[in-house]
Amino acid sequence: MKMGEVELSCLAYAKMYLHASQFPRSSVNGLLLSSSPAGAAVCITDCVPLLHSHLSLAPITQLALTQVDVWCSQTQQRIVGYYQANACVSDSSPTPCALKIAEKIFEQCNNAVLLMIDGEKMFPGCRVPPIVMYERKDARWALKDKHTIMLRQWEETCSIVNQLFSSGDQTLLVDFDSHLDDITKDWTNQKLNAKIMELISPANGNV
Amino acid sequence: MSSISELYDVSWEEMRDKLRKWREENYRNSEQIVDVGEELINEHASKLGDDIWIIYEQVMIAALDCSRDDLAWSCLQELKRQFPDSHRVKRLAGMRLEALERYEDANKLYDSILQDDPTNTAARKRKISILRAQGKSSEAIRELNEYLEQFVGDQEAWHELSELYINEHDYAKAAFCLEELMMTNPHNHLYCEQYAEVKYTQGGLENLELARKYFAQALKLNNRNMRALFGLYMSASHIAASPKVSAKVKKDNVKYAAWATSQISRAYQMAGRGKKENKCSVKAVEEMLESMQITMS
Repeated sequence: MKMGEVELSCLAYAKMYLHASQFPRSSVNGLLLSSSPAGAAVCITDCVPLLHSHLSLAPITQLALTQVDVWCSQTQQRIVGYYQANACVSDSSPTPCALKIAEKIFEQCNNAVLLMIDGEKMFPGCRVPPIVMYERKDARWALKDKHTIMLRQWEETCSIVNQLFSSGDQTLLVDFDSHLDDITKDWTNQKLNAKIMELISPANGNV
Repeated sequence: MSSISELYDVSWEEMRDKLRKWREENYRNSEQIVDVGEELINEHASKLGDDIWIIYEQVMIAALDCSRDDLAWSCLQELKRQFPDSHRVKRLAGMRLEALERYEDANKLYDSILQDDPTNTAARKRKISILRAQGKSSEAIRELNEYLEQFVGDQEAWHELSELYINEHDYAKAAFCLEELMMTNPHNHLYCEQYAEVKYTQGGLENLELARKYFAQALKLNNRNMRALFGLYMSASHIAASPKVSAKVKKDNVKYAAWATSQISRAYQMAGRGKKENKCSVKAVEEMLESMQITMS
């Protein structure tokens, strides 16, 4: 992978998509993780869905960031970005809250990305990934060149997301907010991760 | 495709009662309501008596939520036939237009209701919802403030306004709305906890102390509110770590934080029991609490 390129794995994409779909009337957000070592390119290998209410309030966000940090150090992952889907589908621009959190992540990771989910492109049969990515350039967050964003096996990824919906497995997704409502629910989504990995065809090896 | 009654082995009476429960407790589980309600209407309409009209209304709104315009339309037709001049039905017609994003037509409908009956709160609130859906937050806020000057006891409206202010990062005004809600609903732990979160977000020693007090209050009202427990832990920790506090205040807050830590640990230990899959989240909390204690001492 080249300098400045960002790769988004099927696992990360699927969970982000499921998160946004689970709460269509709210804004949702989450963190993007990488299990690859730091380098010129960014490989987003997983994500942690965080909130679906009061995104701009501090306590729960701080709590979630701290817990995910700890979990990452336990599992050799790094926080490399932030995603958000706005409640108002016609506006996918980053909110002040999104910029603030992305800025914090940038302090620890100098090629951090900010990913906004474009709700208008989330419909069955849409041929284009519903995402808009930003990177830190010249002290501001600028739109990333689409050609530097890699979504390998896009068709397969779409098919996997569809399968999750038809099997009802999309309900397995737990975000940090839901975890706080019921702490027996696992915000690291081990069960859902396993289901998604099963669906990713063995021929591809690591995705 | 098997029916709900077959899949879940329930009688039509149980389905009707479930719908009533969801209606009374204001659940927005629209997909379920559509599944159960549609079957009830199609198979058992004659048995429902006068209940059928409120069920049509409930199912129609749920159908709009699930983009089932076919079902919403047929429910609306039944209601229009039975109650031809009703404002309540007119409002439902307006909601359908909103769902189709025909906001101008919806507004015209609501305006005609208001011309007939200027005190119709439902129509006024729908107009505000349209502003919100269109992303016109400042206008929605302005209209909602005007509405509340007239209808000062409308809890739903106060809460909606607090949400709007939070989205606009106007925490002082959000706090004011939540204060109104806490005054009229002193036993509601959620309002206390949300108020505490807003105060914490505003920051500064005074706000942190207020936050801690209201997190504690929320816990008194509901000792299983995890957000309040974590909030108490975090606010007490920050206060204790502040160079501006007296030794006594520091000591007290260290005590509160320690208490919160033990409660959190206990809760997670109980949650982790027997469930292999959430061992990860349990471990993360344990380590987090440990590391935060080290930085505090």
